[in-house]
Amino acid sequence: MFKKYSSISYWVKTLVVVISIGFSSNDAFAAGPPKASELSNPLAQVLLVIIVGLLLAIGLLANVILGAAQVYLQRFKDERKKSNAAKTVAVLLLCFTSTALFAAEVPAAATTAADAAAGADSIAGLSMSSFYAMISIIGLELLILLVLLYNLKKLLAKEAAVVSATEAPEAIAKPSSFFQWWDNFNSFRPIHEESTIDLGHNYDGIRELDNRLPPWWLYGFYLTIIFAGIYLYRYHVAKSAPLSKEELAISLEQAAADKEEYLKKSANKVDENTVTYLSGAADLDAGKKVFSTICAACHLPDGGGSVGPNLTDKYWIHGGGIKDIFKTLKYGWPEKGMKSWKDDYSPVQLAQIASYVKSLGGTKPAKPKDPQGTIWEEKAGGAASDSTKAVKDSTKATVEKKVVAIK
Amino acid sequence: MQVEKFYYDNRIVKQFAFATVLWGVVGMLAGLLIAVQIYLPAANFGLPFTTFGRVRPVHTNAVIFAFVGNGMFMGVYYSLQRLCKARMFSDALSKIHFWGWQLIIVLAAVTLLSGYTSGKEYAELEWPIDILIALIWIVFGINMFGTIIKRRESHLYVAIWFFIATWITVTMLHVVNSFELPFSWLKSYSFYAGVQDALVQWWYGHNAVAFFLTTPYLGIMYYFLPKAANRPVYSYRLSIIHFWALIFLYIWAGPHHLLYTALPDWAQSLGTVFSIMLIAPSWGGMLNGLFTLRGAWDKVREDPILKFMVVAITCYGMSTFEGPMLSLKSVNAITHFTDWTIAHVHIGALGWNGFLTFGILYWIIPKIFNTPLYSKKLATTHFWIGTIGIILYAIPMYWAGFTQALMWKQFTEEGTLKFQFLETVTHIIPMYVTRSVGGLIYLSGVFIMVYNLVKTVKSGSLIADEAAEAPALTKAETHGKQYWHRWIEARPIQMLLFSLILVAIGGALEMVPTFLIKSNIPTIASVKPYTPLELQGRDIYIREGCYLCHSQMVRPFRDEVARYGEYSKAGEFVYDHPFQWGSKRTGPDLARIGGKYPDSWHFNHMLEPQSMSPGSIMPSYTWLFDNKIDTAITPAKIRAMQTLGVPYPAGYDKVANADLMQQANLIRINLKIEKLITPANAEIVALIAYLQRVGTDIKSAPKPTTAAAVN
Repeated sequence: MFKKYSSISYWVKTLVVVISIGFSSNDAFAAGPPKASELSNPLAQVLLVIIVGLLLAIGLLANVILGAAQVYLQRFKDERKKSNAAKTVAVLLLCFTSTALFAAEVPAAATTAADAAAGADSIAGLSMSSFYAMISIIGLELLILLVLLYNLKKLLAKEAAVVSATEAPEAIAKPSSFFQWWDNFNSFRPIHEESTIDLGHNYDGIRELDNRLPPWWLYGFYLTIIFAGIYLYRYHVAKSAPLSKEELAISLEQAAADKEEYLKKSANKVDENTVTYLSGAADLDAGKKVFSTICAACHLPDGGGSVGPNLTDKYWIHGGGIKDIFKTLKYGWPEKGMKSWKDDYSPVQLAQIASYVKSLGGTKPAKPKDPQGTIWEEKAGGAASDSTKAVKDSTKATVEKKVVAIK
Repeated sequence: MQVEKFYYDNRIVKQFAFATVLWGVVGMLAGLLIAVQIYLPAANFGLPFTTFGRVRPVHTNAVIFAFVGNGMFMGVYYSLQRLCKARMFSDALSKIHFWGWQLIIVLAAVTLLSGYTSGKEYAELEWPIDILIALIWIVFGINMFGTIIKRRESHLYVAIWFFIATWITVTMLHVVNSFELPFSWLKSYSFYAGVQDALVQWWYGHNAVAFFLTTPYLGIMYYFLPKAANRPVYSYRLSIIHFWALIFLYIWAGPHHLLYTALPDWAQSLGTVFSIMLIAPSWGGMLNGLFTLRGAWDKVREDPILKFMVVAITCYGMSTFEGPMLSLKSVNAITHFTDWTIAHVHIGALGWNGFLTFGILYWIIPKIFNTPLYSKKLATTHFWIGTIGIILYAIPMYWAGFTQALMWKQFTEEGTLKFQFLETVTHIIPMYVTRSVGGLIYLSGVFIMVYNLVKTVKSGSLIADEAAEAPALTKAETHGKQYWHRWIEARPIQMLLFSLILVAIGGALEMVPTFLIKSNIPTIASVKPYTPLELQGRDIYIREGCYLCHSQMVRPFRDEVARYGEYSKAGEFVYDHPFQWGSKRTGPDLARIGGKYPDSWHFNHMLEPQSMSPGSIMPSYTWLFDNKIDTAITPAKIRAMQTLGVPYPAGYDKVANADLMQQANLIRINLKIEKLITPANAEIVALIAYLQRVGTDIKSAPKPTTAAAVN
């Protein structure tokens, strides 16, 4: 029943051999230079996958040609009993030799690939010799594919000629080339030949046909199994692909590098030691925007406090200087319910929010919360007095604004 | 040869068909309600039993077990009798099966809405119902095998292979996943904890999709599609290969629901590769279905039944290709926890299960009522409306999932998160609205079907007992060389055993090492059992279905570590019976919620979420402020946990309530300072205690000092 598959199973066997050679190279060539690691190279794996993919394509095509050639041969026998038989045999022979050739060469080539000793130079971590060996296998495979395609075309041309010569009237009703391709792609039998593959089963009137497995489906299945093997090998044997935690480490490292690179170029380098009060209207507005959407949930829009403390009075739990507020925003006081915001807002944004918070000092909220913490006074000293002054200025500004509003 | 006369039982088919329609409407209405609640919190009505967390399990359970379940039984009871050329084994068992299953559904709805849930997705039902399910399922099994044994057909058709595999595998899944320790008449704790519970649960959850939503429906497709199209099945050998490959490979794929979690890496990788290998076996079913229609496509143009079936099979093909793609880590990193998953499952539920069920209903009802369908035109209308509904449902959800995932992952150049979680939610609300419109359209199509079927039923009369005849079964003779697979097709018991062995392999090889090898779950010394108050709070968390919108699993991604904190470790969950990792983030992850906000924040937030997070779509939980903690049951809970291996000191159950009240009073005082008044024994206090504990144990672990590292 699986007679038709004998050739396919042959290809599969070849494949398995090739793959096993590829995979076993670790042990098989362990004595040589350290090319065990070559297989874990992503480029090598990509190339290997291409090689295997092309192999499958070759196998598939060879199978199609053999089938076509057999049909052709049959027709020859039927129609022209003796003449030209030699030519057909020649075509068939060509097919066989090319496929056999390929079967013989690929394992050999694969071996050379694995065998390739350490070249001094490398391409994407893959030694020159391995790289070129693999590339030449791919080239060879492409060549074989071309030869096969040429054969197939020749065969089909003959067939078409025969069809148009003998069955010209019927040719008009021929389906479009897409449907022809589709039928071939799925190895469909023509509907009128259905009775030949009826298995004779009858379940409450349901019959069953014995159609072949669609080739692309079958080869796709093999491919997924190969994928599974390579996947497990990469992650758990060669360990050449990062597991979750390694992935995290890589991305954090990358992020840190990017950030450093960015900060080098930008003026965004503010931290709790260098932050100063930003009195510009644009900065305060930016700070206010964040405050009224995010901070207001706990501190109320006017800073009077609810879940979080009142920000308008003189009492502070963690200090009321611009640097203290910045620090509170940046690192948070998680045990008291204030989260760290450094992953949510940039240093400049934090400075803007801190400045806005500072500007709330002395305003009169609608429902001020009872004081928490201790009375905080600006310490003497250059920078501190500056910021105190700034606070006064801004307070004055707010008061003035209010006056204007009332007027 | 003696020809025997017998009668097919159509009454039971009719009953299951009507139940299918009824529960389909109920399940979809529940779905519509929760779809609206997502963008309109007021639609939760402020009542416990109408709030999202309780209605969503009703929706999923109703659609899976009530709608598809009854649909499956309808298909099996109709096709099995005809494929075996025999009446069902026992009318009494058929009746018990039908009414028992409906009883389960009603009990499920009542208990779920009352908050009795095991907290494990798609297995939410509590222990007494679990036992009832097992009993009724066994009744179904006896009835099915009885029929198969007394059949008048020598060999079993492929549909029956799928029925057999379904029955045995669902039995295994249900029994293993439902291991739980009752501590009251309606409540229990999962036998497994943390990582192990997660693995068992998703082994079950994934294969509930496989063996409750897929294999039985493939089986009924194999009967009704060739019947409706009047075409032979495309390929017998494709049936064989895809059947055995499917049931063997499916069972391994569960861990793909747990990629990037605290599950050991090797188990995650197995989940991925077996999912990829599943593509071809799954597609085997689609190809055999679609290729069977070869030569009948002109009929598809005319016949709404075939239209439904073609779209159903296409949706099956789409979601079984999408599933493996979602199992690739790089794709999963984007789609998991988002609405992408919701879109994916609804392609399956609305397209595959829904449309196949509709097609079969349109086929069966006229048959058993011996009358033509009332209106073919209305059926075609239903088809187009349903298709538009599916498209309008799925596309916004794919879009929402993809958009939200990218927003979560976006950083500014300064290296800070670009979006607050809530911003990513409010951004996709238009998509949620469109989705609910899609759902409404789909449901209106179902109402058209109900009208059409009612009219059909009224114009015909039920052939309760349909006469048939067939020769008695003689010893199967083999003429010449037979296909090797014919051997097992004549032996149902061997087929059952082979199926069981095949499906047991995958589960066993994944679970046994995770349970037995210690290194898979490294313990963390600072992780301690929950206090009695926290335990009570955790049970409230489970009762209200918080896990349906909030995950408790920080994956090792840069954005999640920045947004939530340290990524979750396997050792953190060893006392979690059941685990609460969740599968969807409609709200933010809660794995590190402990200590992030003050008690007063949680108090205000549970009372009115919008006060603390303006624009939040979370419903209010006002009843938690009135309900009192059920302290009478604390000792039983502690004892159950002790039995499950949680190291409370001996005799702790007697003093647990004293500890509980002490901790509750501290929280009460803490809240009072903030002018928030609550009695110490209000449920909200317990919930706050639990939330403040989650994910904090690991922070108290002694950290290796940097000095030591320098030295």
